[in-house]
Amino acid sequence: MKKITSARVSQLLFLLAFLVLFVRTEYRGSDTISAAINSFFRADPLVALSYLAATRSFTWLLFPALLTALFTVILGRFFCGWICPLGTVLDLITVRIKKSAPIRLLRGNLKYWLLLPILSCSIFQLNLSGLLDPIAILVRALTFFFYPLFGDAARSSWVELYRLLGERRDLLAPAFGLLRDHLLPFRETFYPLAFLSAVMFLAILFLERYESRNWCRNLCPLGTLLGLLGRFSPLKRAPSKLCGDCQACRSLCPTSFDADLLQKEECILCLECQRACPKDRVRFSFARPGSDGRDFLPERRVLLGGLLTGVFLAGSFRFRRPEAQSRLLRPPGVKGEGEFLEKCVRCGECMKVCLRGALYPAIAQAGVVGVFTPVLTPRLGYCEYNCTLCGQVCPTGAIPNLPVPEKRRAVIGKAVFDKNHCLPYARKTNCIVCEEHCPIPQKAIRSELVEEIGLDGKRIRLQKPYLVEELCNGCGICENVCPLEGKSGVEVFAVKDKTPLQESASVAEQEKGGGAEDPYR
Amino acid sequence: MKRRAFLKLVGLSVLFHHWLLRGVSAAQGPVVAVAEGKDYARVTRNAIAALGGMGRFVKKGDLVVVKPNMGWDRTSEQAANSNPVVVRAVVEEALRAGARKVKVFDRSCNDERRCYVNSGMAAALKGMKNVELKYIETERFRKVALKGKALSEWELYDEALDANVFINVPVAKHHGLTKLTLGLKNVMGVMGGNRGSIHKHIDEALADVNSVLKSHLVVIDATRVLVAHGPQGGSLADVKFLNKVIASSDIVAADAYATTLFGHRPEDISVTVAAHRRGLGEMDLKKVRIVRA
Repeated sequence: MKKITSARVSQLLFLLAFLVLFVRTEYRGSDTISAAINSFFRADPLVALSYLAATRSFTWLLFPALLTALFTVILGRFFCGWICPLGTVLDLITVRIKKSAPIRLLRGNLKYWLLLPILSCSIFQLNLSGLLDPIAILVRALTFFFYPLFGDAARSSWVELYRLLGERRDLLAPAFGLLRDHLLPFRETFYPLAFLSAVMFLAILFLERYESRNWCRNLCPLGTLLGLLGRFSPLKRAPSKLCGDCQACRSLCPTSFDADLLQKEECILCLECQRACPKDRVRFSFARPGSDGRDFLPERRVLLGGLLTGVFLAGSFRFRRPEAQSRLLRPPGVKGEGEFLEKCVRCGECMKVCLRGALYPAIAQAGVVGVFTPVLTPRLGYCEYNCTLCGQVCPTGAIPNLPVPEKRRAVIGKAVFDKNHCLPYARKTNCIVCEEHCPIPQKAIRSELVEEIGLDGKRIRLQKPYLVEELCNGCGICENVCPLEGKSGVEVFAVKDKTPLQESASVAEQEKGGGAEDPYR
Repeated sequence: MKRRAFLKLVGLSVLFHHWLLRGVSAAQGPVVAVAEGKDYARVTRNAIAALGGMGRFVKKGDLVVVKPNMGWDRTSEQAANSNPVVVRAVVEEALRAGARKVKVFDRSCNDERRCYVNSGMAAALKGMKNVELKYIETERFRKVALKGKALSEWELYDEALDANVFINVPVAKHHGLTKLTLGLKNVMGVMGGNRGSIHKHIDEALADVNSVLKSHLVVIDATRVLVAHGPQGGSLADVKFLNKVIASSDIVAADAYATTLFGHRPEDISVTVAAHRRGLGEMDLKKVRIVRA
């Protein structure tokens, strides 16, 4: 059996941690999630750098990424060979894939043409890092595609068992309960862009047909960034060239021995060459840092061209359709759209964790540049009044982590009644389901009792709902529960002014004996 | 005696006997037990005891469903859900009477995981043997012919339908549309489908459901009640302590009595009126025997 290197042990442990954290990024009976998959993003220098460039500010949430960067400067691209879960997945499957010749197109400077525009876009307040960040790609593929599929398969089998066994299924209920509480997604939520997310991931796997770690060495913007950082690290391999008499490294090395010289920026420190060296010559040791005589960036025009592409990208995709904008409801606590786009990594965690399956990745609602950013879709799910999970798991604080009382007052949008649809107005029947569900203690939706002539000519008493805008936080439960099929009689629209509801709208204040005056009574 | 004559006699006597019994019970009227006090578990037990004890409803080996209201992500103090102390006491009584299993569930309005925890129900029932607190599973809804005035058929929860004894444990509270929500409306928690759509004729619709799914025992939690901004509340300013538990085998009578605690008359609550008109129970409190316990 092949000897297991410490790099492989570390890879497997981090992959396991990644999967455990992924499954734990869900409401599992506690109001707080102590550890979530966000840890991986917080240790991700690409996320941190684009955040810094876009917001021009620092957040302690991303401090671990600085550590990763620091260690990369000292050690080199250890992250890729020891930690990155996508890299581990590739290493696990690549041994089973027969290689054909590398693709010429991918070779050379393509990776800089990906990394540099992303960074330069960030300078123009558009953070695209998450689109191509390897961890984001992996999390999205899992969140939007594989996990829902897995959950749905498990649940359908469970339902099928009921059809087969009837009440006797109860014997298995404790086992299924365990599975549901600890492993499965609670709701069967299906996401838009599931296919695209899966394709991005599967394409990376497919690239392994051409050479090993194809994505990592030729495309991955995080890897490229780490390569730049670790380029002059003092941890060096000796000998730095292929030995004339052996050349075994050429086939052993997963990334960097195409040329005779070790490509420092591509070495992922898997230490495979050291382990397997037939002559026992290879050593990794600290030496005086210094250049290996090659250029830091390949060509000046790549640098300039990459930065210019970013300017072009940042400027040319900002168009947004106003109709889509009006329903662009961001998660609770998000203040401005601009700030949100500077910070959001599009990792999909908020959508995974959302208790009521209310958040979905944007396709075009937020314009081309907003793809994969979270949008609240009230008809499918509403924002649960006492839940703060999305803010807790957001790696960059794009969705602020608010305490419960503040989150309750955070404005997502404002509800508006459509009297052409709303039952008491349009069909003169009583309803009031929206008022019943409105979670604001003083009720943002109220109703007035009116006597009217019904459609059948008889006198009837109708309760007609109306909105107290000052109390509405736009959680969307009214739109969600409206019993009308299809279009709801009450809908939440985005608002520019997201000033939180007044303190008095919260329960805490009520308990002190205060209470908001109803401006309509 | 000829066989035919004997059969006739038996048949007639059965009919007569039935009629006689009905006459007796009608003469006495339904009983509503009202217990008051601060120890809610004891109050609950007292109320049930005043009806003749849980043994009247639960026989040895019965499968019992206790259906509280735990539809909202609110804490027990906020009075939007049935008091977990009351629910636990009912469950304990059912077990003591010999129930094989007690199932507790509700189709919640907010996220069921949060509701089950925040209502205090999960903690209250934790570790009890032969007690099951399970989330609603949609595949268990079964289309049932109601042939009612408002609803011809509806999806009802099979575990509620299949139980030997269905114990309805609502919390008494304010409601925006029906003024109050009590036992008759609590049955909505076992309805599947688009429940919101029944609100346009809610009084008849609830009578339809209640005439098919009968509550053998109704225990109304009026320990603390919401007097405004129901059914969800959220502000302690709207919570009033009544320290009462009401029990009856007549759902309409129980609701009618509970109505008076809010300063309404039973006739003001259209849901109660419709149920009474449909023969589901007695709403005239003069015809009801009220037992203080």
